[in-house]
Formats: sequence, structure tokens, C-alpha cells
Amino acid sequence: MKKSSLAKLLFAMMLILLLALVGCGSEDEDTQGEQNDQGQEEDTNGGDEDDAEDDGIYSIDDFSPVKTNEGEAIDGGTITFGLVSDTPFEGTLNHNFYSGNPDVQVIDWFSESLLAVDENYAYTQEGAATFEVNEEEQSITFTIRDNVNWHDGEPVTAEDWLFAHEVIGDPDYDGPRYGQTFTSIEGMEEYHAGEADTISGMEVIDEKTLKITYANFTPSLLSSGIWTYPLAKHIFEDIPVADMSSSDAVRREPIGFGPFIVESIVPGESVTYVKNEDYWRGEPTLDGLTLIVVNENVVVQSLQNGTVDLVNSFPTDQYPENADMSNVEFLGDIDNTYTYIGFKLGSWDAENNRVDMDPDAKMADVELRRAMWYAVDNATVGERFYNGLRWNATTLIPPSHPDFHDDTIEAPLYDPERANEILDAAGYEDVTGDGFREDPDGNELVINFASMSGGDTAEPLARYYIQSWEAVGLNVQLLDGRLIEFNSFYDRVGQRGEDDPAIDIYQAAWGVGSDVDPSGLYGPNAIFNFPRYESEGNDELLARGLSEEAFDHAYRQEVYSEWQEFMVEEIPVFPTVYRAILVPVNNRVVNYNIPTNAGSEIYRYQIGVTQEEPYTN
Amino acid sequence: MWKFIVRRLLIALPQILLLSVLVFLMAQMMPGDALSGLIDPNIDPAAIEAQRERLGLNDPWHIQYVDWITGVVTEGDLGRSFRYKMDVTEIIGQRLVNTFWLSLVTLIFTYLIAIPLGITSGRYNDTFRDQMITGYTYVGFATPLFIFALVALWILGFQFGWFPTGGSVSPGLTPGTFEYFLSRLHHLILPALSMALITTVNTVQYLRSEIIDTKQKDFIITARAKGASESRVYNRHILRNSLLPIAAFFGFEITGLIGGTIFVETIYSYPGMGQLFIESINLRDYSVVIAVVLLLGIASILGALLSDIILSLVDPRIRIK
Repeated sequence: MKKSSLAKLLFAMMLILLLALVGCGSEDEDTQGEQNDQGQEEDTNGGDEDDAEDDGIYSIDDFSPVKTNEGEAIDGGTITFGLVSDTPFEGTLNHNFYSGNPDVQVIDWFSESLLAVDENYAYTQEGAATFEVNEEEQSITFTIRDNVNWHDGEPVTAEDWLFAHEVIGDPDYDGPRYGQTFTSIEGMEEYHAGEADTISGMEVIDEKTLKITYANFTPSLLSSGIWTYPLAKHIFEDIPVADMSSSDAVRREPIGFGPFIVESIVPGESVTYVKNEDYWRGEPTLDGLTLIVVNENVVVQSLQNGTVDLVNSFPTDQYPENADMSNVEFLGDIDNTYTYIGFKLGSWDAENNRVDMDPDAKMADVELRRAMWYAVDNATVGERFYNGLRWNATTLIPPSHPDFHDDTIEAPLYDPERANEILDAAGYEDVTGDGFREDPDGNELVINFASMSGGDTAEPLARYYIQSWEAVGLNVQLLDGRLIEFNSFYDRVGQRGEDDPAIDIYQAAWGVGSDVDPSGLYGPNAIFNFPRYESEGNDELLARGLSEEAFDHAYRQEVYSEWQEFMVEEIPVFPTVYRAILVPVNNRVVNYNIPTNAGSEIYRYQIGVTQEEPYTN
Repeated sequence: MWKFIVRRLLIALPQILLLSVLVFLMAQMMPGDALSGLIDPNIDPAAIEAQRERLGLNDPWHIQYVDWITGVVTEGDLGRSFRYKMDVTEIIGQRLVNTFWLSLVTLIFTYLIAIPLGITSGRYNDTFRDQMITGYTYVGFATPLFIFALVALWILGFQFGWFPTGGSVSPGLTPGTFEYFLSRLHHLILPALSMALITTVNTVQYLRSEIIDTKQKDFIITARAKGASESRVYNRHILRNSLLPIAAFFGFEITGLIGGTIFVETIYSYPGMGQLFIESINLRDYSVVIAVVLLLGIASILGALLSDIILSLVDPRIRIK
């Protein structure tokens, strides 16, 4: 009898243990499922982890974007590139059709832009084509170099470049690329609407020369305002536009004119490349490379045992534990994104397609917004939540654009005293004595804060901000009392123009484009202007940044410096943190440079290895 | 029996139709759509809106549904995946093959482990051997699959290097060659084994309790009294009867065969159905979501039917009318 009751007790204890284990487990899984990869969008808190011990704080200044060469490169050799993703890549392998991030990592090895860019993302004459600007005619004439050939030996021609424009401008085109870049070309909109058979602003002068005339000629054109990816006409000519993106020429035998040629593809998981001996910059050093998809959970092990030599991006939250990995060098660069807190100042006027600012909005008082900026300590957020791999942001042009980011601007820094003073002076006082301030008219002030779910830090970070504001007497509540899933977050913030009036403030992130012009995010006609903010000063500065004078670099710099300063004064949104990207590279790899580090003179064809086998840890 | 099968299939048709309406409605109710992920200052919002219009995403749901169902019925066209820019049938075809092989190998491993363990455990219940086996099943119940899969990957894949650590085949091999086949098999073993070791514990437990139950039945005593040898008693009388519930369960395994498992597929970067399903939900790739749910629905209806048929074959007491 005794024996069996002991067994029962043991059994019961086992049950309890089991429940505890399963409990912990399923919680982990929930967060993992939410870390999905959504195109270009940045979720605010991408999977970072609170490091409670706070044992190491790192700084982006300690990382170089360029690999230190350790020894001489051998002839040939192959490397393995890890594409870090928890989903297979889609396989739309052409610059003209792809829509998201995993695919472009595959494409960039075999295809490239015809024009090269400098560190500020302005076009240079170093690429496969050169150009000449004629400001009077509002036209640019491009000349493709003679030795630029497709992988099948056919020359890359002006006709191919024109063809890319014709396909993207076609009403049947199913990719997301048709936009400002195209509509600013003369005659493009008529062509798109089907009213014209040709694009009147585009003229093929000879086999290698193309002239484009613009209806809308701005300095933005010269930094990322031109579509620089030709489409091989001799291959795509016979395919109907609607079927191009699903054709074999895109999915199975993709073609480009880059340093490597696609040899074979296992859909969604790996690609092998061989070198393109005919590459226009010169024959690549490597014999070839292999690209494989690596799950975020096993990146570290794959790097340690040499399964992959390098990856496209490394989850920064795993860095502190692996900083001393001996067989790789960690390269780092400043990401072109910023996280920010936005204030809803109006709504979207769908009829006139512009923002409709409401002077009576809850957040309309700039002093209230300023106080909220002073109340939060973003430097500590960066150190405590991100080990210093994110850090306090000051302006709305991140330092990834070194010539345009103005680091002399003094943005509000954490100062709760100051925040209290500002609020007192602006008339926000606690009349009812409940510990929270009322608005100047004595009405209760409850601010609804919308924040996205995803990643382990999303919740504590949102709580931290709410507490910081509470400390200066502001009653901020999480909208609906919980974090909001990615898709509904952007729907409610207003990506389709149907803003949820319940949102007063929100936390989100922007990846800025290569062109510094912020009209697409803060212009009065931009639907992505989520704060629904406009002012004369802003309009004027944005217009000046795109004016003719702004073709002068120094002038443009000055305008955007003024704009950054202006936004620090007006605060429709305030930036919270900038972030770093880290890329570990095996020690045997030479001549490698983080691809986001624009303007370096190191190209993919120069990548080499110092020994046949990767170093292991 | 044929009458029965036909009748079941006829009942299944309206079920599937209802399922398709429900799935379609629910997909519509999800916040966001396939284009909400494209918030990017480099992409013109007008272009996105034009796409929405072109894809018919702005139409009311019943119009979208009618468009879709006519395509399915008249042309067998399940639509086009927005994300993959290819036909849903093609993308599902690609993934289904991967998942099918993975599940098949898993199933084989599962039964290879479960049947000997279950029989030993049931036949010699409450001995040391049985305790070891039940001990294993408890550990199996307690271990979450995704943790076990990660540990297995770490030890067998990374530490010992016996198995590849991701993908379904080594890059650069030509499909159809023997080498390609071997490479696929090599890639399959580790994910299949780690899944089988965890999921098999159910079957072991089933079999064990079923055997213990059966061996106390009157007909077994009768068999023993007739002088049947111990091995005959176990192999012919007990085992056959104990396998019944497992056989019944087998039909449902078919659903699992094509459903895939999100954990294992994610950890081993193995492109299969489970991953496709989850990612298309996350990215609001409706046409894929609907197609996959429908496929799973049809599979479970057919699976249930198959279970009934298997049961009637192995158990003469059950007669389907």
C-alpha cells in the first residue's frame, strides 16, 4: 500500500513539473510567431532582449564596416553566404519584380544597379553606366559602358533600360515599383494610362546611350530618383507583362550582369553561383559562392563551425553573448532607420488627398509634446534594452546619411525637472489631486498610446515610456490595454487613410530611403505622414530641398539641417533611437564590406578567401 | 461499402463549400491585407492603392468570393499568391512534396519506435523494462518539440556534424540523380527523427494500455486454456486487437502528412506546408491561406473516411452499411 501511494505522489509531482515546462515553452513560442518579416517595414522592437545583468555596453564606433584583411587571397575558392530568415525566400529573382528583403539578398549577387552611389547615396560615375546632366533641357543622358554584358553574352543596351521602364509602367505590371521615380519622367503617366504607345521622355540614342527627359526635375533624381535596373529585352520580349514575374526567366534561370551567375536554385532555400568571367569590372576572385537560408536560432552555431562564412544580418540581441567568437570578425554599420514616437495632430482627408490638421487635437500643444520628449531617457533605453547597439536619436535624418545628419542640433535630452517646468508653465496642472495633470482647461487628460507587438522588448519598452510620462504627471494608457499586432497597428495609425481617432500617440519606426528628401514621410500630401502634420515652415523647407538651387550640395545640406532643427522645435514626432547593424564575417574572407555602407570602393567581385576551408571556433 | 463511401463523399461536398465560405470570411476579417507590409517611403502609396484596386481587394467580400469560387470550379484555378507571384497550385505543389517526404519518414520512424516499445511495455508491464519505457514517454510528453528539435540539431548537427543543419537538399545538385536522392534523405533523417522521438510517445502509451487491457480479456484466457503458445497468444490474439485504435488513428495521420509542422520546418529551415501556412497568414497572402485551409479540410474529411474503411477491414465486427 505504502509503495503505491509513494508512486502516486511521485506521479503527481511529475505532472506539476510537466505543466511548468509546457507553460514556459509555449510562451516562448508565442513571441517567436510574431516576429514575422514584413517587407521593408521595421517593427519597432525587432526581437531584442533585455539584458538584465547589464554586463556589456557596446558602441557602434568600435565596429568597422569594412573587413580587416588577414593575409593574401588565394586564387579561387568559394564562400557560403547565410541569408538569415525564418521564412524561405520568395524567389522573385529580378530587380524589376521583387518586392521584399529576402529576395533582394539573392539578387544582389548576380545583378546590380547600372549607377554606383557615394556615401550619401548620390549617383557617381563609377558604375556600369555614366551620365551627364543637362539642367536646361531637364534631361540626363546615360551611357552604358561597352563591356557590360548580360550573363548570356548579349550586351546590356539602352533598349533594355528603356524596356524596364516600359514594363514597370505597363498597366499589367504586378510589382510595387511604379511610383515617383517613374511618374517624374515626361510622358510616363500617359503611357501608364494607355494613352500613348511610347514614353515620350525616353529616347534611345544609340545602342548604349539613353536620354531621359524629366517633367519634374529635382535634386532627388540624382540620389536614387532614377530606375537603374535594365531588363533583358531579348529574353522577356515574348512574355506578356502580367506573366513575367512568374516566368522561368525570373524564377528558375534569373539573369543579370553582376559578378556571379546563378547556377542552380533550390526554391526557397539555397542558390549556387559561379563567377562571371566576363564581369565588366574584372574577373571575380572567387570561383563561386553558395547562398543558404539560415534560421535565426542557429546563426551562431553555423558561423562557429564554418557552415556559413558570413550572413546578411546578425540578430543584435545575440551579440553580447557571442562578442568573443574567435573565428569571425564583426563588422558594423549604422542602419538607415530610426524609431520614433509620433503625435496624432489631425486626420487624413481622403477627398483632397492631403492631411487635415486639427488645431484642437489633444496633442496639438507643442509644449506638451516637448515635455514628453524631455520625460523619456532614450540613452538609457539604448543601453539597458539594447546593450548600446541602439542609442539616443536626435534628428529625423539618421547618421547613415553622414553629410545630411546634423549632429550639432541640440535635441531635448532626458530631464524630468525640465519636463515638469514646461508642463507647469503651459498650464497642465493637477487640479483634481489624483496625481495626474489635467489640461489647461481643467479637463481630465488621458493620452492613448499605440505600440506594436513583436519581440521580447516590446512590452517592457512600452511600459517604460508610460512610467516615464507618469513620473511627470501625465496619464498615458496603452491603447486597448495591450500591444497591437503589426497589420492592425498600421491600419489604425492610418496607412490607408482611415486613422483611428482613439490613437493620440504611437511608437513606430521608419527606414529612410537613399534619398534624403523627407517629403514622402512628412509632406502634406503624403499618406505616410501619420502625425497628419503640416505647417508653412515645413512646406517651405521641403520645397527648398527639391528646388533648383538644391542641386548645389552645400545648399541642400543647409536646407536639411534647417529642416532637422525645425522638426526638433515643432515635434510632430520625436526620434527615440538609432540602430546598428552587425555582420559577422569569417576571418578567411578578404575585401568584404557591409553592403549598406554605400560609397566604399570595395566591390563584390573582389571578395576572396585566404584559405580553402573556413576557420572554426 | 461503396454506397457508404459515395454517400460520405456527397456529404463532404457541402461541408467543403461551407468551409470555403467560412475561411474566406475569416481571411477577410483579418486586419491588413497583402499590401500592408509594403509601407516603405520608397514605394509610392498611390502604386499600392492601384495594386489593391487591380487585385480586387477593395471589392466587398461576396464579390471576391464569387470571383474566386468560379475560378476554382471552372478552371481549377486557386488564384495567385501575392507574395510569391506565382500560382497557388504551383507553390503548394512545391511545398507539399517536401512536407510529404518529411512526414512519411517521420511516420515510419514513429511506428518503428512505437510498436516494439509499446509491445514490450504492455507485455511486461510493471517490470523494469516497462518502467524505462514509460519513463521515456513521460519525458517525451514533457519535452516541447521545438526545444527538443533545437537540442537535437545542436548535438547531432553542429557538435558531431553527422547531419546537415538546414534545408532539404545540398545546394548545387541536379534533381533526379542518385546523389540528389541521397542528399535529400540525409537532410530528412534528423528532422524526422527528432519529431518522431517526441510524437511517438502517444502511440507507445496507446499501445501499452491497449495490450494490458486486452490481455486480461476472457478470450485470451480461453486461448491460453486451449494451449496456444505464448508467442501465438501475443502475436495473433493480443496484438491484432490492440492495433485497432492505432489503425483507426492512421487515417488522421494523413492530415498530418500534408499539414506539416511549423516548429521543425522553421528550425531546420525546411520549406514545407506548415511554414507556408503561417507565413501566408502573417503576410495576409489570402489566396494561399484559403487554399491551404481547404486542402487541410479536404484531407481531414478524407482521412476520417479512410479511418473508417481501415477499421472495417481490420475489425470484422464493424460493418459499414
